[in-house]
Amino acid sequence: MIDLERERRETQRELNKPDERPDPSLKITRRTFLHRSLVAGAVTGAATYGWFPLINTLNLAFGAQAPFSFAWISDTHLYPKTVNTRFVEKATRAVKEVQAMKPAADFLMFGGDLAQLADPVELRLGNDILKEITIKKHFIPGEHDWYLDMGKTWVSLFGNSPWTFEHKGVQFIGLDTVSRAPDYWSATKMSPKERMGHMATLDGSVAGPWAGVGSDQLQWLSKTLSPLSKDKPIVIFSHNPLYEYYPPWNFWVRDWRQVHEILKPYANVTNIHGHTHQVLYNEIGTMRSIGMLATSWPWPYAPQGVPQLTKPMIRANPGDYFDGVGWAKLNVTAAPKVEHEYMMWRKDVYAEAQVDSGTGDNDNQILRPRVADQMWPYK
Amino acid sequence: MRKILRWRGGLLLLAAFLFVFASRMDHVQAHKEKHTPEQLKAFQDVFMEQVRIGDLLFHGDGDTEKKFDVNLSKTGMACAMCHPFASDTHPHEFPKFQEQIQEFATLRDMINWCIENPNEGERIDVNGPAMKALEAYHYWSNKGSVLDPGKH
Repeated sequence: MIDLERERRETQRELNKPDERPDPSLKITRRTFLHRSLVAGAVTGAATYGWFPLINTLNLAFGAQAPFSFAWISDTHLYPKTVNTRFVEKATRAVKEVQAMKPAADFLMFGGDLAQLADPVELRLGNDILKEITIKKHFIPGEHDWYLDMGKTWVSLFGNSPWTFEHKGVQFIGLDTVSRAPDYWSATKMSPKERMGHMATLDGSVAGPWAGVGSDQLQWLSKTLSPLSKDKPIVIFSHNPLYEYYPPWNFWVRDWRQVHEILKPYANVTNIHGHTHQVLYNEIGTMRSIGMLATSWPWPYAPQGVPQLTKPMIRANPGDYFDGVGWAKLNVTAAPKVEHEYMMWRKDVYAEAQVDSGTGDNDNQILRPRVADQMWPYK
Repeated sequence: MRKILRWRGGLLLLAAFLFVFASRMDHVQAHKEKHTPEQLKAFQDVFMEQVRIGDLLFHGDGDTEKKFDVNLSKTGMACAMCHPFASDTHPHEFPKFQEQIQEFATLRDMINWCIENPNEGERIDVNGPAMKALEAYHYWSNKGSVLDPGKH
């Protein structure tokens, strides 16, 4: 543990040298608004759901040719309706709200983990729900979408990754950070369901460090970026964060250092990711990284590694399944800036004290990996 | 003469008491004998088996639920889905006033609240084997945490 801590500190020092920061003109401001629907008097909605989402705005210099917005939904974790309608309700609500955006978003980004166990029934259910959104949709997979049939259903419904496109002066890139897990299933002759079950267990250790970009995709990324000017605004979507937050829960990609090496020459890179189900913000090297909410349920902050730049969200009330979850809206303006808004279905988003966010728990708790994975046949 | 008899009677009574006390001392001191490595391993094995069962229940293992005749969730959610590594469970902070329950609560009370509310499962016997195993898993997962009862 001491070696790991030392290595992290050295890495942090190396990557956060004075000249290794996002463009200094990219100041972050935090502003808080009552949601438009409340200002407009949508009291019924507020009374029904306790819906007082506060909006976090990050102003980023971006240089878009014309203002536009896009929406993000991820981590819906759908079960078949026969098992659980709770997650269906929340995914449906996010979809309706995105569709109701005025002016309409230019596109929707779906950030992975549409399904819980990659069951084709779950993936098709998700596809049906998302059909209500009529704007252009882009997809990257999550691990919960993949390891039952190794992505067969996902690819047939939503296509392959990685991909890239330019939109109004901004280069958008979608990475697949989930499909390149080391083979943990063949040696013990796991069934596809067992393989998926281990992958779906966040705190399991059998699937190991599965999150990664992979050498082939790194080459693709390098090649894709090489013709771009160094100040080109670049937004990279990934399911996992492109830095090391907490590897035991795969809150990282294992080859994030190589990703950083490729991105280093570019001054204006924003990574937007899912998987962590919580409010997160980090800057590492020249890249900024923003963690998105899930619509399904929130994770607690990890016992270590929470970026110091993160203003943490309030611990969710487990008795209210609309608490601590939501979707996001990102406005790219000609100012130039991007406004990032957490559309969280609750009264307060941010914690003022550690005790309210759970990050203060680390002061007096020590956590251990699960024991069942450390027994036969896995060890 | 009577006095001498009384004294003899008293001494006999005292001797009888000391005899009984000394014989009981053997039992009292029994647990102070050194434990053998085998005994310690056996104790640890018993504990770890409970931790393992608790881990499986906490992670929604259907076979283990059947074996213990419990239904911890009807939503597909397992405890570990909100509490990876049993984080945010704080067993070392119970008993305390628990906001959700609006009562002074033990860890077992809170486990049952989570089963019945977010998981929409069926309350389990607070002294039953499933509860004991879940409790063992919570404490083992948080081993080394600072004992801080009452903390919110």
